[in-house]
Amino acid sequence: MTSVTPTITERWRSWRGVLGALAAIVLAATVIALFGGARNGGRLDIEATTPQGARALAELLRAQGVEVIQVTTFDEAIERAEGSLLVVARPEFLVDPAGLAGLAGRPGARLLIAPTPAVLRALAPGVTARPGAAEKVRAPGCELKAAVLAGDALVGGSSYSGAACYDGTVGVVGDATLVGSGSFLTNGRLPEDGNAALAMNLAGAHQRVTWFAPRAPLGVPEGGEKTIEQLIPANVGWFVWALVVAVLLTALWRGRRLGPVVEERLPVVVRAAETVEGRGRLYRARSARDRAALALREAVLARTTPRLGLTATAGENEIVAAVAARTGQDGGRVREILYGGVPTGDAALVALARDLDTIERQVRDS
Amino acid sequence: MALTGRAALLAVAGALVVLAAPAPALAFWLVVAVIAVAVGVDLALAGSVRALRFERSDDQRVRLGETAEVTLLVANPGRRPVRGLLRDAWPPSTRPAPREHVIDVPAGERRRVVTTLRPLRRGDFTAAAVTVRAVGPLGLAARQGSHQVEGRVRVLPPFLSRRHLPGKLARLRAIEGLNPVQIRGQGTEFDSLREYVVGDDVRSIDWRASARRADVVVRTWRPERDRRVLIVLDTGRTSAGRVGVDPASGDPSGWPRLDWGMDAALLLAALCARAGDRVDFLAYDRAVRAQVTGGGRGDLLPGLVTAMAPLEPELVEADAHGMVAAVLARARRRCLVVVLTDLNATALDEGLLPVLPQLSSRHLVLVAAVADPRVAALAAGRDGAAEVFEAAAAERQRVERRQVTARLRRHGVEVVDALPDDLASALADAYLNLKAAGRL
Repeated sequence: MTSVTPTITERWRSWRGVLGALAAIVLAATVIALFGGARNGGRLDIEATTPQGARALAELLRAQGVEVIQVTTFDEAIERAEGSLLVVARPEFLVDPAGLAGLAGRPGARLLIAPTPAVLRALAPGVTARPGAAEKVRAPGCELKAAVLAGDALVGGSSYSGAACYDGTVGVVGDATLVGSGSFLTNGRLPEDGNAALAMNLAGAHQRVTWFAPRAPLGVPEGGEKTIEQLIPANVGWFVWALVVAVLLTALWRGRRLGPVVEERLPVVVRAAETVEGRGRLYRARSARDRAALALREAVLARTTPRLGLTATAGENEIVAAVAARTGQDGGRVREILYGGVPTGDAALVALARDLDTIERQVRDS
Repeated sequence: MALTGRAALLAVAGALVVLAAPAPALAFWLVVAVIAVAVGVDLALAGSVRALRFERSDDQRVRLGETAEVTLLVANPGRRPVRGLLRDAWPPSTRPAPREHVIDVPAGERRRVVTTLRPLRRGDFTAAAVTVRAVGPLGLAARQGSHQVEGRVRVLPPFLSRRHLPGKLARLRAIEGLNPVQIRGQGTEFDSLREYVVGDDVRSIDWRASARRADVVVRTWRPERDRRVLIVLDTGRTSAGRVGVDPASGDPSGWPRLDWGMDAALLLAALCARAGDRVDFLAYDRAVRAQVTGGGRGDLLPGLVTAMAPLEPELVEADAHGMVAAVLARARRRCLVVVLTDLNATALDEGLLPVLPQLSSRHLVLVAAVADPRVAALAAGRDGAAEVFEAAAAERQRVERRQVTARLRRHGVEVVDALPDDLASALADAYLNLKAAGRL
């Protein structure tokens, strides 16, 4: 066999460890999510343990023997409304006029938390709301027993006609108890001031509490205004999913290589002149003009002395005299160029190099 | 497995169906199911890649700069045809073309696939995997698998300097006295007697032989034959430096000194073989990398290029002691030792120069090196301080090189220091000069 592609069995053998580890991680995460302590949820949801949730209040009520049940649909709420305290925790989601009318038709006590105008109209007819009351700690300032016992509490939001306590933000009008803001019921705020006491007094008035806290809007508001999601036909959602499948298949098609990448041992690439260039840069970095000038002068002397008929043992005076005679330049200047001092700057070095070139050319051409 | 563009197209068409369908959820799952089933069926009906059998042509040799054609026989012993793509993968610097072949091998038949290689580098190249993608009858999905099929291409040195060979051979014949008419050869070895013709040097008349015959007879001479030449190629770190312009690919970063050295060595070897000398070859850095001993005239060059092909510069300092020992072990009789290395002052000071007397006392040594044209260009730079500093560095290196050359000559060593393009010719000339002077 020349095939180097692993068979399915070999592939399973090499991947089963990884797959097993992945499965274990997913399983552990699921177990922790299902049985773990923390629960997410919406505002004033009695399952939620977040600061915005109301799990603490529900647990306190249950510890007092109160039966607390959360409902999320109109049907359940209507069914359970009679003989229990109906807490409308999320009035902004109660937009179905028929559902509200059905709820209004059932007798029973209600605790309306920051009701919207539509909810107020249906469940506490005749009461008007004035929004704009600041949310802050207020004194009860009324005769209501629940408020007097609780003392100071964090209230605000809206004030209602007919409500007497906490500057009109909390009050009892007929069957309905109105609260301008639900903040004091939340897990986060419950321990502060008299919040817990007020919440227990208001919600614990009955042995059964129906906690109506939907997690999404129920029904469409009157007047037929639809949200953008409802305007999009259902086909489009599935079309997008089908496109996702198409993109996935395209990625698989384009992403598959025809065979593995071929590796190759490449040779070293070193330019032979690199050492010379490096030495030049070193000269420059250290401003080694003395060494540079010496090298240039030596090279010119080595090339010109044979042309002058002199040997390598010729002395300085001899060479200067011969060069001066051959080129016609001044002897002092020739001596300065060939045997002078170190150039004082880079410009002087460049000038020296050019002077040496001139001498060499004149000797060669003369 | 692999998918094709057709599968993706099918998914897009399915998406349009979902958009128009009265029950989109059902349509979506239906489309997904149809694609999955079609892909599955296609995979099941595609020809088996695993069962394919491959056969490759024999190992090939090709000179650098030429193209090699490697053929691959694909046999399909399965019951279904294998239709799709095949890739015969080779290392990238061999530039295999085409990258992928369209193949259609009916059940039980064989097909030939030819891939053309145009190598950029010298050396041995082994085939990587052969990958086949067999598309199913619907063209939606394919089976893919790789096979390891042994195959090797040896890329030989290009021997570009062979263009100098006719000229050098003409010179050799002139030395041997064979051309244009048989004149008195310049050698010192007696060749034969022949009749005197007008123009012959009267000094070469053999009076004793003339006395025995009616005609005047002259002696002809020719250079010594059956001398031994040992070419030593230094594959140490200095041989990695790149010089000149790569003649095979035109790469301006240059060709390693090693390759220029090989080129010169090949011309010298060809010339020696024609001149009747025995050529040995040795590549050395810290160990013997390659050697060719006593090649006959016919198979000398093929043996040499084959031995040279896989050589690479080793990034270590060459061991001159070991090299001299290896040379002395191989050359018992006096011979010409040609060392192809670099005239690097530091490397030679610490390496070859201390041990050179051992070699030069018993043999005639010729050191050949490539000069870097870039150093000459740098030495002429005068624009600004940076160039002048580089020019000074270049001059310094040339001075060192001259000094080292002078010291080598004092040891009685012949030195050939030439630009890359001229090295082979200069080395051949040096050999011919030695031969004409009877110094071998």
